[in-house]
Amino acid sequence: MRWNVDRIKHLLQTETQKAVLIGTLIVMMIGLSLATPSFLSVTNFTNVFLKVAVIVIIASAANLLMVTGHFDLSVGSVLAFSGILHAYLCKHGVPIEMSMLITCIVAMGWGGINAMTVAVLGINPVIATVGVLFIARGFAFLVARWDGGANIMTGLPMEFVDFGRELVFGIFPLAIVMMVAALALFLFIEKRTEIGRFAYAIGANLQAAKLSGINTVGIIALLYVIVALFAGLSGILQTSRVGLAAPNVAKGLEFDVIVAIILGGTAMTGGVGSTIGMLLGALVVGFASNGLILLGIPFYYQSIAYGVILIGSLMLNQRFTNPARA
Amino acid sequence: MDGSNILEIRDVGKAFPGVVALKGVSFDIKRNTVHCIVGENGAGKSTFIKILTGVHERSSGEITLDGKPFAPTRVRDAMAAGISVLYQELNVVDELTIAGNLTLGQEAHSFGFPKQDTAILEKAAGILASFDESISMDTLVGSLSVAQKQVVEITKALCSDCAVLVMDEPTASLSLGETRKLFDTVARLKASGVTIIFISHKLDEIFENGDYITIFRDGEMIETRSLEGLERSDLVRMMLGKVVVNDYVPSPAIQTETALEVRNATTRKLRNVSFDLQKGEILGFYGLVGAGKTEVCEILYGHPCAGEIRVKGKATRLDDVRKSLKAGLALVPEERREAGIFGLLGIRQNIPLMNMANVKSHGLVRRAEENRLADHYIDALSIAARDREHQVSLLSGGNQQKVVIAKCLNRDSDIILMDEPTRGVDVGAKQEIHDIIRELAGQGKSIIVFTSELQEVVQLCDRIALMYDGALRQIVQNGPDLDTDHIMKLVAGEEIEA
Repeated sequence: MRWNVDRIKHLLQTETQKAVLIGTLIVMMIGLSLATPSFLSVTNFTNVFLKVAVIVIIASAANLLMVTGHFDLSVGSVLAFSGILHAYLCKHGVPIEMSMLITCIVAMGWGGINAMTVAVLGINPVIATVGVLFIARGFAFLVARWDGGANIMTGLPMEFVDFGRELVFGIFPLAIVMMVAALALFLFIEKRTEIGRFAYAIGANLQAAKLSGINTVGIIALLYVIVALFAGLSGILQTSRVGLAAPNVAKGLEFDVIVAIILGGTAMTGGVGSTIGMLLGALVVGFASNGLILLGIPFYYQSIAYGVILIGSLMLNQRFTNPARA
Repeated sequence: MDGSNILEIRDVGKAFPGVVALKGVSFDIKRNTVHCIVGENGAGKSTFIKILTGVHERSSGEITLDGKPFAPTRVRDAMAAGISVLYQELNVVDELTIAGNLTLGQEAHSFGFPKQDTAILEKAAGILASFDESISMDTLVGSLSVAQKQVVEITKALCSDCAVLVMDEPTASLSLGETRKLFDTVARLKASGVTIIFISHKLDEIFENGDYITIFRDGEMIETRSLEGLERSDLVRMMLGKVVVNDYVPSPAIQTETALEVRNATTRKLRNVSFDLQKGEILGFYGLVGAGKTEVCEILYGHPCAGEIRVKGKATRLDDVRKSLKAGLALVPEERREAGIFGLLGIRQNIPLMNMANVKSHGLVRRAEENRLADHYIDALSIAARDREHQVSLLSGGNQQKVVIAKCLNRDSDIILMDEPTRGVDVGAKQEIHDIIRELAGQGKSIIVFTSELQEVVQLCDRIALMYDGALRQIVQNGPDLDTDHIMKLVAGEEIEA
């Protein structure tokens, strides 16, 4: 298709939400670079991206899960637990690669519990995944306690931090490379695979999906497991980067993930949404909170702004994603 | 029976935005009788009952109750005037005792605290005992059977001195024994001077309990008369109305090869249903609401049943949707919005969902193939849409149905089940959908159409299976000498000489 006025007009009509997000990003960037000299620096951008990376890695998978009409509130706890488990295993003599493998498998186990309760037994995801939120967080504290302290920071092998601080091709931090990989993977799933098509179908009409012979339970379950796996990987990554495992990290991460997804135009009830939209949503949230910090605005205003963004994004969704939505 | 009218209804009409549900009906209901109201779905009987009970306000007309003008605007008004309803969905609180349920909302208060009103309770206990002496007032309602809960509701209605009791399909969820008990209750209520308005799809119940009957059709009152001397087939004819035009053309490609055999299929609702389906044939299932058409469709598409099902000669279990699809069956479901379309998605995304193989190569979905497939079906079924990305929920009913059919055709199944394929579509689209069905049969597909429209089966189907009360009574061959009177007699449950 050629680029011409009509095509741009059509895109603006169908992708209003993305257009609004891109506009917001541009305005924020210009505003912040004028307001604070420290905004436009490599260090600051790296910091924003490192923070956004964790959200985007998990949200790539969680976005498609929400497209099916489901969500996962346990990702923050699974991340914290995985970080602790990885540190604990490494400290107690398990080779780092083996420890990563075990941690990923256990993380998928948490996803498996969500898959069982929500997809198979049909329990409301708010209740079921909040259950895992508490259990996984509890186990994170428990494992730290086995080690004998509140955090695991001493006695880790020398090469423990190598993974987290690795620079791919000598310049790109691993977290950012993984973010790009997760985005690419889910863009591919969304656009080119049966699973992607089925996810949209399930979210649009679960009953019709079942009658069309789609394995609805299997797809929802698979997405829960992948979301948990990505949360586990993020946990390993974060712990390795800071060289410290704390059981109380990533509290509220589940909401960062959901805000990014909703802001990106994915409907909580499913059927609509996109990976690109989610990325834009995450960037808006990331730069907004970075800007508030740089401008020296107190944390309570930040909290208020965050809530306003959440509610505002839901209103934006209802306005733009679907005029026909009843 | 003293013969006077308790209710006089004059020109009562109800218009909703865009639809006239009730077009000015007039009739009388005599005191102390069982007055039945019948009509197919959409005939207007529910609307009438809702007006009578204060759920809806009427748009026009007059009602007098006991000689006084009656215009309820809330359910409470109707109850205060003496009209109570026994709904299909019972309004009892499972967590309270019978006594608690009976005094709910009428508790006497002293200083803001509810206190037991012994007078009401004694009266209630007396009424309850007259129906069923075995239940105590202290029983938790949650532990009662559905029939016993109905008795509690009836008792509650009588406590508030109801003169007219509306029963909306009261036997829908009752067992045979419980149904008998309810009929005893109806007789006892009548003996105690209550007028009963009895709504049911089951003709047996109407003839057994009723004194008078009012027939609704398309929002109009067709007739009100005594049930005495009324023939079942005449009743059905009045319910269905319309003169049936038979312009049936036999399917050209009917072969002697059997596509599907069902033997003695039995479920809670179905009794020993047996039939064959030939290759290239259109078989119709016809019966009144509740006769078991939907259940026959269900046992072929995901619901278990006792009995035997053979697909192309091979015994197959079809108790899972994916098994049915694999065996070569596909369904166009009755509830288009709830079970057919993926409303938020475009036509392009809807069509391949039953069979992704047609749009994949090397395991990946090809956009170009999706486009080609969508364009093909938009053209072949003449789906009126802006383009292939047109969101399906924004299409008209007929075009939505075509998308559902396209999705099903893309599966290329040999047996296609169509449950009410033209419900809620306009006349033009209906004709087009019938043409599509005939064309499919011409290609050698076997089709089963489940419909509650006599005109549709007569126009479309090669053979017609007639259902009554969960049983398949007869399969008649369509043709110029098709006897619609005979069909009406069978679906009305009348006995016929062999």
